[in-house]
Amino acid sequence: MQLKINDLTFAYNKKEEKIIENFNLEVQKGEVVALVGVSGSGKSTVLRLTAGLEIPDSGQIIIAGQPVAGEHKFIAAEKREVGMVFQDYALFPHLSVEKNIAFGIDHLSKSKRKTRVKELLKLVNLEGFEKRYPHQLSGGQQQRIALARTLAPGPEILLLDEPFSNLDAELKDKIRKELNEIIKKIGITTILVSHDREDAEFMKAREILMN
Amino acid sequence: MQLLKKLKKASPGWFLLTAVIITMLLIPNVNIIINLFGEAGENWKHVRDYLLINYFQNSLVLVIATGLLAAFLGAGLAWLIAAYDFPGRNFLSWGLILPLAIPPYIGAYVYQGMFSYTGPLQTFLRNNLQINLNQKYFDFMNLKGAIFIYTIFLFPYVFLMTKAFLAKQSASLLESSRLLGKRDSTIFFKIILPLSRGAVVAGSSLVMMEVLNDYGVVKYFGISTFTTAIFKSWFGMGDLPTSVRLAVMAMLVIFVLLFLEKLLRGGRKYSYSTSNIRPLSRRKLEGSKKIMAQFFTYGIFFFGFLLPTAQLLYWSFLSRGGELIETFNFAFTSILIGSGAAVLILVGAIIIATTARMSSNFTSNILARITILGYSIPGAVIAVGILLFMLKLDEFLIFLQTGFGLGTNIILSSTLVMLIFAYAVRFMGIAFNSVNSGYEKIGESYFEASRTLGKGVTETFFKIDLPMLKPALMSGFLLVFIEIMKELPLTMILRPFNFDTLATKAFEYASDEMIYRAADLSLVLIFFSAAAIYLITHRSKRRKK
Repeated sequence: MQLKINDLTFAYNKKEEKIIENFNLEVQKGEVVALVGVSGSGKSTVLRLTAGLEIPDSGQIIIAGQPVAGEHKFIAAEKREVGMVFQDYALFPHLSVEKNIAFGIDHLSKSKRKTRVKELLKLVNLEGFEKRYPHQLSGGQQQRIALARTLAPGPEILLLDEPFSNLDAELKDKIRKELNEIIKKIGITTILVSHDREDAEFMKAREILMN
Repeated sequence: MQLLKKLKKASPGWFLLTAVIITMLLIPNVNIIINLFGEAGENWKHVRDYLLINYFQNSLVLVIATGLLAAFLGAGLAWLIAAYDFPGRNFLSWGLILPLAIPPYIGAYVYQGMFSYTGPLQTFLRNNLQINLNQKYFDFMNLKGAIFIYTIFLFPYVFLMTKAFLAKQSASLLESSRLLGKRDSTIFFKIILPLSRGAVVAGSSLVMMEVLNDYGVVKYFGISTFTTAIFKSWFGMGDLPTSVRLAVMAMLVIFVLLFLEKLLRGGRKYSYSTSNIRPLSRRKLEGSKKIMAQFFTYGIFFFGFLLPTAQLLYWSFLSRGGELIETFNFAFTSILIGSGAAVLILVGAIIIATTARMSSNFTSNILARITILGYSIPGAVIAVGILLFMLKLDEFLIFLQTGFGLGTNIILSSTLVMLIFAYAVRFMGIAFNSVNSGYEKIGESYFEASRTLGKGVTETFFKIDLPMLKPALMSGFLLVFIEIMKELPLTMILRPFNFDTLATKAFEYASDEMIYRAADLSLVLIFFSAAAIYLITHRSKRRKK
């Protein structure tokens, strides 16, 4: 079991309505799961809780057998080995593509880092883009760099927040195909969030409806 | 887990640092209130029975009249610049901010000098046209004169805030009003003014706080206000308890003002029902309207910047540059303390803003409130609070040092440490606002992305937040730098012996009617402030492109 969520409850604000209540989820290693629902259904919040960006009110999250959130326990985002591709990609504008990708692996030696960046750029089909800056890339390219950056440290789980919402229809098909290939190739456990059921079908993901 | 959630993503180190800074910001204000319960000074009864009513009246008249006039002037000009196009508009959109580069006390002595019996205007009338008018027409040194000075040099606060607000408004609003057959003047009073009420009130309350803070103009004109009274009871009579009581009164006035501002501003908050906003398109003015708009806008620029600066240049020319070395020395001191203190204040503001960003809404609201507090309280009041605190601290330090047999080498009152501390209390809010709006622009996803990539809060701050905040930090630095360069009351009270900045020395020379020497120093001061204003306005323009 790669991810196990037990009875998760969360509200952004004490006074506000609970956005997630007693939510349960089990994801096997290498599985691709899609959380599908309308906006406000709490699907992105599940990702944020899994990543450690929010602290649950109650419930438990276990990643690769390690409890990361639960009663009296909270492991910070930076120590969870969970990778997340943000909806707006969040590529650091002041860093080149190379430095963006290497950001999470600066504990490696310089030469190892370089090889890893090369490897990832090859994986996302953007070889030779090392020296570019985010604003010099198209939307689709930015997303692939964001994916490469997320995969660089070798996370246990990959989270994709609305990966296709910023793309036009034509590009969308192409990106879905590419993304699917990359995920299959490295066999990483993936949870993606979308408001469109078609995305889930296309990615051959196990669909979980959220209301 | 609930406590964890309250602190949200904050790390304890940041929180602790913030707590220390916030406590230091609160100390002077709390100190004043504590000291209020001490014994009253020997002069208090006299001040209370005979003078207080006068301080109240003068302060209120100045504050209210200036607040209203600046509101109309600033809002009107902002409207002209935001909604119309005419030759010179581009320049004026930042040129009309330039009056802020001239501290009101410098403006006051320039205008007084120009209109006095021996000034250029009357001399010209007398010698060339044989006109000798009654001196009462030229008397500047009264409430009306002070109101004029404050309005013409402080209105840019309203102008700036209203202009920024109007730039975000929708064009269809205006266009539909025009299509409904409304004249532009009707639109201004019925649509624009009510809509931008919040911005106008915010700007004009800044103006009012500056008026209450001012020491130079009222002192020079011989008008008694709270600020001059605090000075007088302290320096003139050596009666600190009386200054404390006056300071508390001034704080009360401020709190009433802040409350009124909230009342006027809050309540109704208008927002658009659609998110699709097309910015205002400017209407080109032709014919007589064009000339009127130019006449008005350039006229204000002339009286608020060009004329006083030209007069200063002329005086400086008459003194053949004066004593260059002395001028250079004061400029050097001012720039050094201005930039040094601005950097320190900015570091404090970054720490508070970073913690605020990681805390819950409630906590970050409180942090923001406390940080801004110092800017709304007059400098003379802060000075009283800080001096009270420093005297106590020194007692403690002396106790410690003699206890360890070290003599009494370290004393903090009347040192630069005390002055910089005071600047921090007063201007931290300005720096905080800059950093905070920088953070708002950046958003949270970069921070979160870095966290999921394995970086902690502090490493993320240095690698991601700090580089991305650079433009906001630059404008924060410049804003604080200008304020410190121009600052008078705090510096006058708290400076070390024989320590002078451009501002204090220019004011001293002007008070001693050594107007030519004052002119040189004022020009240097105005030059640096104007340059900073130019940099701020033009940096933001570049970024928009």
